[in-house]
Formats: sequence, structure tokens, C-alpha cells
Amino acid sequence: MSGLRKYSAIARTSLEITFLYRTSFALNMIGSIFYVFAMFYLWQTIFLGSPGALGGFTWPEMKAYLLVAFLLNALMTWFAEWNMSVDLREGRVATDLARPMDFQASRFASAVGPVPFEFCSAVAVGAVVALMFGGIALPADGAHAAVFLVSAAMATLIKFGLVYCVSMTAFWTTGTDGITVGRAAVQNLFSGALIPLIFFPDWLRAVAAVLPFQGMVSTPALIYLGKMDTPTTALMLGVQALWAVGLILLGRLAWRGAQRAVTINGG
Amino acid sequence: MPLIEARGLTKKFRQAVKEPGLVGSLKHFFSRQYRDKIAVDHIDFSVEAGESVAYLGPNGAGKSTTIKMLTGILVPTSGSLVVDGLVPHEKRQQNARKIGVVFGQRTQLWWDIPVIESFNLARDMYEIPAARYRDNLAQFTEILGLAEFMNLPAAKISLGQRMRADLCMALLHDPRILYLDEPTIGLDIAVKDSIRGFIRSRIEERGTTVILTTHDLGDIEDICKRIVIIDNGKIIHDGDLAKLKDTYARDRVIHFQLARPPESMGPIGAGLPACEITTDGLRLSVRFDRFKLAAGEIAAAVMPHVEVVDFRIDEPEVEDLIRKVYLGQLSLSPDAPQTGVLAGA
Amino acid sequence: MAANVAIAGRLRSVRRLVFLYLRCLGQQMKAILAYEADFVVLLFSAVIVQFTGFLFIWTIFQRIPNINGWTFWQVVMMYALIFVTEGVGSLFFEGTWRLTNLVYTGQFDQMLVRPVSPIVQVLASAVGFNGLGNLVTGFVLIGISITNVPVAWTPGRLLMLAILIASAATIRVAINLASAASAFWVSSPWSMVPMFVHQLSEFAKYPITIYSFAVQALIVVAVPFAFVSFFPTAYLFNNEAWSAIGLLTPLVAVYSLLVAVWIFNAGLRRYESTGH
Repeated sequence: MSGLRKYSAIARTSLEITFLYRTSFALNMIGSIFYVFAMFYLWQTIFLGSPGALGGFTWPEMKAYLLVAFLLNALMTWFAEWNMSVDLREGRVATDLARPMDFQASRFASAVGPVPFEFCSAVAVGAVVALMFGGIALPADGAHAAVFLVSAAMATLIKFGLVYCVSMTAFWTTGTDGITVGRAAVQNLFSGALIPLIFFPDWLRAVAAVLPFQGMVSTPALIYLGKMDTPTTALMLGVQALWAVGLILLGRLAWRGAQRAVTINGG
Repeated sequence: MPLIEARGLTKKFRQAVKEPGLVGSLKHFFSRQYRDKIAVDHIDFSVEAGESVAYLGPNGAGKSTTIKMLTGILVPTSGSLVVDGLVPHEKRQQNARKIGVVFGQRTQLWWDIPVIESFNLARDMYEIPAARYRDNLAQFTEILGLAEFMNLPAAKISLGQRMRADLCMALLHDPRILYLDEPTIGLDIAVKDSIRGFIRSRIEERGTTVILTTHDLGDIEDICKRIVIIDNGKIIHDGDLAKLKDTYARDRVIHFQLARPPESMGPIGAGLPACEITTDGLRLSVRFDRFKLAAGEIAAAVMPHVEVVDFRIDEPEVEDLIRKVYLGQLSLSPDAPQTGVLAGA
Repeated sequence: MAANVAIAGRLRSVRRLVFLYLRCLGQQMKAILAYEADFVVLLFSAVIVQFTGFLFIWTIFQRIPNINGWTFWQVVMMYALIFVTEGVGSLFFEGTWRLTNLVYTGQFDQMLVRPVSPIVQVLASAVGFNGLGNLVTGFVLIGISITNVPVAWTPGRLLMLAILIASAATIRVAINLASAASAFWVSSPWSMVPMFVHQLSEFAKYPITIYSFAVQALIVVAVPFAFVSFFPTAYLFNNEAWSAIGLLTPLVAVYSLLVAVWIFNAGLRRYESTGH
């Protein structure tokens, strides 16, 4: 039990740090709203120009999709990513190595700590945007909402697995900014955060289907909107789970290799 | 006309007052409260060309703030400041051509590029004539021993190497004034000596004016002739180092190493009525006012009564002196109210 | 006679500043190139970001013929202008992003004791090689865009294209510099305010006609991102409603730069050199 307590202490600390830097957090959040606004105006214009459904989406559904994507992108973002690469770069890992804790688990605790706060902030901000644009579609019923939450949790796990793997590159390169930016761009495109994957031409959709990213936005968002039947939902949840486990295991492998690098470089 | 002249020089900082906790932050966000902190409080001083001045004071006394105003980094809140005919913050760039700056805590070198490239950049920035640059660089490299790390970036050299390189860069353009803020902090004795010697040679050979802040009293004794002490933003002493010692460090202690313990202290004490005498085993120490007695007279009074193997004279450490000033045990200010003198006359 | 001497002096000092700027920047470039892996990653990631952006627009236009009358290649032009100017900003003026930290740590002090304009020193204090990726792909997209739009590309118009790109880049750098100068008012270890302002550029990737009046006012008047992408595009592609305003871009560039320098100098007077 004391093991768990260690990790919950880490989670609490990182939540406190997020509070400490709340101005940065808020500015970051508001800054990302500009992007959401731009998307809303863009799609509004598009839907006005072609009334009815586009790619199977109505305008209220599209609004909901954009906000769900915004919410999912806001989770486990700000602190986790920044903190992880800074830790690695500044060699704080050496002290972490000395602690009687699993490195990946402690990273997870520190990434997951601020998530409730991120969730609430993003929902509040999303609600304001939704009101400004005349409301959004809500999940059809409680069951959809519940499954959506499960899928969203899984999306967050996949995100952690991915960010953790990518942050491991900090052991081999001195700057991680480029990798972070590149990863975010690829992730935004193939997760469906920029545009629902259904809009892609077949070949691009085929690429997206074999990558882990779709589980990060597209799957939960489509569940939210009730756009998948029950068997497909079950299948997609399974795919999400597979990717989550796979990426976390890959991260453990990378860490083992990285530890060797640390020993060689002297931390 | 003095090279540096400050009249009523004052710097106030506005500090935000914030209550702790989330509520405090919220309150602070909506109605900010500020408190003025007066870092430098109406100080007057002037420095003649060629002087070497130690500018001392405890942490937070206003030393760095003064130096930053002198160099043009900070804009004074009030008062006037003229350095070599210029108001530093108004003519910052012109002022910069005439000064060299070494801040011990921070390097002036470019972090990622080889030291020699930093020097070359300085050459271009200060528009140092090629011949002068070549001569200065050759000379400084020799004296400061820079050759071994000249091609390494500042990020990869040791603190001592960095300080030497910083000093070199600050002087390449032959500045009239050299500001040194804690130039030897964290360095080992050998490096300290080389840096102090170098600075001294600049003062003696080129007449460079030096303003030095330090906590290291070796720096002061090696480099400076004049001491200015600031505390709580006010100058509490300004004068000659030697005179300071004469005035406030009159006491000397002479220690005698004896062949055997003294049989009786009586006769010695009788011969030296104004002195404080202590013994500790085979050691006999006499504290005396050097303006009233000479060391020889002490010796003459002691020698007939004991067998002296060896002796040594302790001068008071400047460190002790200044510590006393900080602690308020010594009042150095000429117009400070003396106890017993009528106040409000 | 006196006027001539004054002008010669001015020219000399401008030449000196440009020389020093390039000298410092060159050193920064050399320093970064030492980390070869980082260089390649930064370059590559910038290209990926652009490519995904392009794919996004392309996907949308697979479904619809135009957005408010703006065709695919016209929107690509706006996109490309945002990226080219961002590239100029990162590659040559990345230093603006360092200012917040320089002020926070007090390292900015050292720029004030050198006989060179602190603005020039700040601008030349860093190089972002991701900018090269942005520049290259941005120019490729501009090249493809102008050959796919039914406009006669006379030498005069091409010259105008060059002038507009230069002006747009100037506006972008001015916005960066002005927002970076927030560091003199808001103490923070990293560039929050500049990042916040930077995010406004999202609005400039699409025709401003899609936005509400408030958003339009924001990016035309307050932070003139619309002059980075939308108005130059409107001018180049002869848009009836907006092309005339596009001609104002160079003026807006000069104005933005003056305002940015003014804000920077106002901030400099309150610099407190605290140092953390």
C-alpha cells in the first residue's frame, strides 16, 4: 500500500505545481482556444456554404466533435510533456534513478496528477465556446456518455505511452523541441483532431487506421456522437487498449536501453 | 572634475505585496498592492580618474543596484549621475564603450561559442583597432594564461577559466573604468592571485579606474586604496583604506612564544599599564594601541622577565573591521550622533 | 555639407548594426550546427508540421469548392505566408523568444553594457533551424500556388510579391518583438505572453471574412496578423473587395516595427534587473 502512496504523492505534487503556474496554464489554455475558435468559424462557413451533412456530420455534430477533440487534447498536456523532457534534459533523472520507484510509474503519476484540473478547465472553456456558437450535440444517453469516458481514459493512456516513448529520445538528442513539435503535428492529423478521419481520402484513412493516433481523439469522439454501432465500438475500444498496453511496454523497453545510455554518459 | 559624480542618487523598486494562498493570488490579481523598497537612498560620492575603490556592504545593501546604475543598466529613480561626462542610462551605448564590466555571477562570454570567438565579437562590437586588439589579446592571454582553453566554448570551461576570460574580454577595448562585481567569488587562491595581480597592473600601468564590490577582503587589500561602505542604501563610510585602519584599527597584538611558562605576570603588567595581557600556556599576548606604544617598547618591557623563543605581530584584519561596521559596533559616519552628544542641537 | 555628413554617419551606423547582427547570428548558427542531430530533427519536424497543415486544407477542399469564395490555392497562399514569415522569424530572429528568459534571469544585463543596440543583440541571440524547414516548404507552396491561380505574373507583380513577403515577415517579427517586450512588465521564466499572442496567428491561416467582427478587428487592428497573410493574398490574387488594402501592407510593416521598438524601449526604462 505504501507503494501507492508514494505515487499519489507525486501526482499531488504535480497538481500543486500546475496551480503554482496557473497563469501560464490559463494563458496556454486560452491560447489554444484561438485555434478552436478559428476551427469553429472555418467549419461554420463551410457548413453555411453546403447545407446539410458533410461527410456524414451535421453542424451541431461537428461542433461537438471539435470540442471533444479540444478536451482530449487538453488532457495530460501541459505539465506532463514539458516536465518530462525538462527532467531528462537537466539530468534530474540521475536522482530519480536512485529513488526506489518505477520510473515510468512515477512519470505517469506526475502526468496524471493535473488531469482532473485540466478536464474541468477544458470543460468550462468548451462550454463557453459551445454557448457562443449556439450549443452542441450531447451524447444520446448515459450509456454512451459512460463508454465515452472509458474511451477518453484509454485515449489518455495512449497519449501517456506515446509521450513517454518520445521523451526517451531526450537521452540521445540534446533538444527535444523538434521531436515534440513533429510528434504533435503527426498526432493532430492522424488522431482526427484537425478533421474527422472520415473526410480523408481512402489511402490516408488506411494509414490512419494502422497508427495508434486514432485512439487518441477519433474513437472517443465518435463514441460520444454515437456514430459507431455496438460491435464497432467494442472493437475500437479493444484497439485502443492494445495500443495503450503496447506503447507502455515499448516505453519500458526504451527506458531499459536509455538507462544503459545514462550509465555510459554518466547521467 | 571627477570621473564619476553621483548626487542624491536614488533607486526605488516597486515590490508587489501578495498574501499567500489562492485567495491572496486572486486578490492580487484584481487589486495589486505595492510597497516601495528603497535600494539606494540619496547617495553622494565622486571618484577621480585612476582611483581604485572598494564598494562594500552586506547583501542587499544596495551595492549591485549602484553598480547597475553606474553601468547604465538601471535607470535611477532620482538624483544625478554623471560618468565621464555622460549620463549612463541616457547614453548607454556611448557609456558602454568606455567601461569594462565583470559580474562574477554571470559571464559576458557567449555561452555556446569558443572563447576566442567571443573576443573577436567584442573586437567588432567595440570597434577595437586591429593592432591594439592584437597587442592586448597577446598580452592578456600571456598574463592570464588563456591559451589552453581559448578554443573551448564558455559552457565547457571551469569557473576560474571563465573569470579570467571574462576579465580579458572586459579590458580588450582599454576601458577607462572597470566595474568588478564579486570578481573572485568561488575561485581558488592561485586564480584569485592572478586576477588581482592583473587588475593591479592595469591600475598602475594604464591608470584604469576600478570600482570593486566584493566579500573577499583580500581583493580589497590587494587592489583598492579607498573604501566606500553602503548599508541600507546609505553610504556609511567613505575614505582611505589606510586611514580607516589608522583610525579604527589602532590595536595590534604581539604574541610571544616562551621557553617556559612565566613565573609571575606582575612585573610585566606593571611595565605595560595601558595594555591587555593574556597568557595561554607558553604563549603571552599583549594587545596595545600602536599610536601610544611601539612594538619595540613592548618587547623591551617583556624580554627582561621571560625567555622569548619567537614572536609575531598581528595586524587587525580588514575583515574584522568591516564586520564591526556592519554589526554597528563601530560607527564610521563622521556625523553619526554620538552617545552623550546633545541630539537636536 | 553637414546634412551629407549626417547621412553618411547614419548609413555607417546602420551598416555597422547589420554587420554586428550577422556576426552574432553567424556564431549562433555555428554553435547550433555542432548538434547535428538536433538540426536535422528541427528541420524535419517543421516540414512535417507544414505538410500536415497542407493535408488538412487539401482534405477540406476535397469536399467543397471554396470557402467564402476563396479557392484552394488562395487559401494555400495564406497558409504559406504564415509559415514563410514564421520561418523568417525563427531562422533569423529567434532571439525574440529568448527575451523573456533573459529578463527573468537577469542575463539581459550583459546586453546593456555593450555598445550595440540591445534590440539588435536580442534579435541575434538565437537561431531556430526549424525556420529553415518552414521557409523552404512555405516557398514551395507559394510557388505552386501562384502557378495554379489564373493571374498573369508580370515582373511587376512578382516584385510586389517579394515586397509583400518582406513586409509580412517584418510585421511578424515586429509582433514577436512587441510581445516579447512584455517581459519587462510580466515576470515569467518562459514566454507565456509571446506564446499567447503567437496563437492568434491561427486566425490568419484562413480568409478573415469567415470571422465575426470582433475577431476581424483583433487581427486587423490590434495585432495585425491579417496583414501577414490575408491582405497580401487578396492583393496578389486581385480580390475585388480587399486587394486595395493589401497595398497598405508595407506601411503597416513600418508602423508595426516602430510601435514594437517603442514598446521595447518603454519596457527597457522599467527594466529592474532582478535576476533569478
